Amino acid sequence: MLRAFTLIACGLLIFVLSVAIIRGLPAIDLVFLTAESKNFGLEGGIFYQTLGTLILISGAAAVGLPIALGSALFQTEYLRRAPRLKKSFRVLMDALNSAPTIVFGLVGYLVFGAAFGVSWLTGAFILAVMILPTMQSSMVEAFEALPESYRETGQSLGLGRGAIIRSILLPQCFYGAATGLFLGLARAAGETAAILFTATTFSGVTIPESASDPATTLQTHIFTLAQEGLDPRAVENAWGAALVLLTLVFALLSAAIWVRSRLHWESAV
Amino acid sequence: MKTAALNSEDLRSPMFWAVSASALTALVAGLGLLGFLIAESVPVFQRQGLSFLTGAEWFGPDEFGAWPMIYGSLATAFVASLFALPVALGSAVYTAEFLSPKPRLAVKAVMEYLAGVPGIVYGLLGMTLLAQWVRNVFDLIDGNSIFTAGLLLAIMILPTVTTLSEDALRAVPRRYRETAWSLGMNRVATAFCVSLPMALPGICGAVFLGVGRALGETVAVMLVIGGLDRVPVPWFNLFAPGQSIPSKLGREAAEALGGGYHWHALMTLGLVLFVLALCLSLAGRWFLTRQRSA
Repeated sequence: MLRAFTLIACGLLIFVLSVAIIRGLPAIDLVFLTAESKNFGLEGGIFYQTLGTLILISGAAAVGLPIALGSALFQTEYLRRAPRLKKSFRVLMDALNSAPTIVFGLVGYLVFGAAFGVSWLTGAFILAVMILPTMQSSMVEAFEALPESYRETGQSLGLGRGAIIRSILLPQCFYGAATGLFLGLARAAGETAAILFTATTFSGVTIPESASDPATTLQTHIFTLAQEGLDPRAVENAWGAALVLLTLVFALLSAAIWVRSRLHWESAV
Repeated sequence: MKTAALNSEDLRSPMFWAVSASALTALVAGLGLLGFLIAESVPVFQRQGLSFLTGAEWFGPDEFGAWPMIYGSLATAFVASLFALPVALGSAVYTAEFLSPKPRLAVKAVMEYLAGVPGIVYGLLGMTLLAQWVRNVFDLIDGNSIFTAGLLLAIMILPTVTTLSEDALRAVPRRYRETAWSLGMNRVATAFCVSLPMALPGICGAVFLGVGRALGETVAVMLVIGGLDRVPVPWFNLFAPGQSIPSKLGREAAEALGGGYHWHALMTLGLVLFVLALCLSLAGRWFLTRQRSA
């Protein structure tokens, strides 16, 4: 009985993957991957959609990574002697993590949309805030797992806290930070609701040329095609795009799991 | 070594300022999110007070009513936990108590990938397969219903609940199991009478966090819930189409973008959703830390 439940749970992954492959693979060929979409997604490909997803997640990482890294360091290194503050900061990050993604879209539009309108940049900022807690918490985990003896060695050599961060923590915890980055990227790549009405339009978009241009992404493309629903060509192309998206997200997740497995230290002396 | 929280050397180091600046940015982002939601909701509560929460009609004469959406969110979350709980708990117990380290790590990895599957892919799956199945099995006119959305959400929160419950079970110290075994209890009895009760706070935490996640899911629910702003008659008829808070937001945000009373009503809806999710998540975290310190 218990084993059956476990098999059901694990079987879900195989189920999702096989449905995506069976339904998506017929839609995918070289043209599908390299052409722009035509006739409202019924014909043509998903080249600019894929590009848009990559642009948005790169932008989100570029904005979010320094903030996540800095706030993780602040929390673990500078709040060491202030456990109360440290705990409050953690609760705040948990709260940010629990916010439904559509709420990020609503508020993000008010804040960033005021400056850039419906644009890829607005979307990148929104996604950056959204993945901040994901990245931050796995970085905190890595910094906290670093044995205390590493820091003490630095202190005994007369290094200040800044120097310890620069020459001990960051190199030693590099894989931890990379894990956080990849997890954040995977989360951003899978997100639809937050960018649906803030960063993307459905058709007629190629490469955004200025800060106020909207993008088009795989996620929102699938969503719009799925809403069409009735046309079998739309559904087939939606599955094709879904397979590409799933491949991207799983590649990022695998990268995260791989770099995490490389994170280990000599045992504390 | 005892030092002050900060010393003068810290204040001179550029690293400190860089790190503090980003921490401050994160702080502003977190507080700003809640602040903006509250500020944008003020006009709604000023004009109609709490009748916003109880009104049954979204586009009333000059008032908005959010009750059908709140009902839809709670009902889908209820169905989701109903279906996810037994499977998640069963797999967590099996993985934590009966599996050797290697297959255990494999299950954990599978759960991590499952949790990473984008919501929109689940939505597509729900639309093309699940809604059809629900329609055929329950002989409905339309497969898009509150029940379908809840079922889809159950699949989506399954990995979160499983993996967190498994962590909670693993956190039960081994000596308790060994004591039970030495008293002649078999592994199944030990799992259910010793490990499970001890891990209960952690499991509650896992369920709370899972349900919190379910409440916020937008696109997948939008595609299968039916999109009707009405509490079904009778109210427990879950096979009727409905609307959840995020699906309402997803449908109407684009047309109301940025201004007007409609926009304020949507932001208030967002606030209600955030507060619900926040309470669940904070309660969940509290349970998880209680488990850890026990």
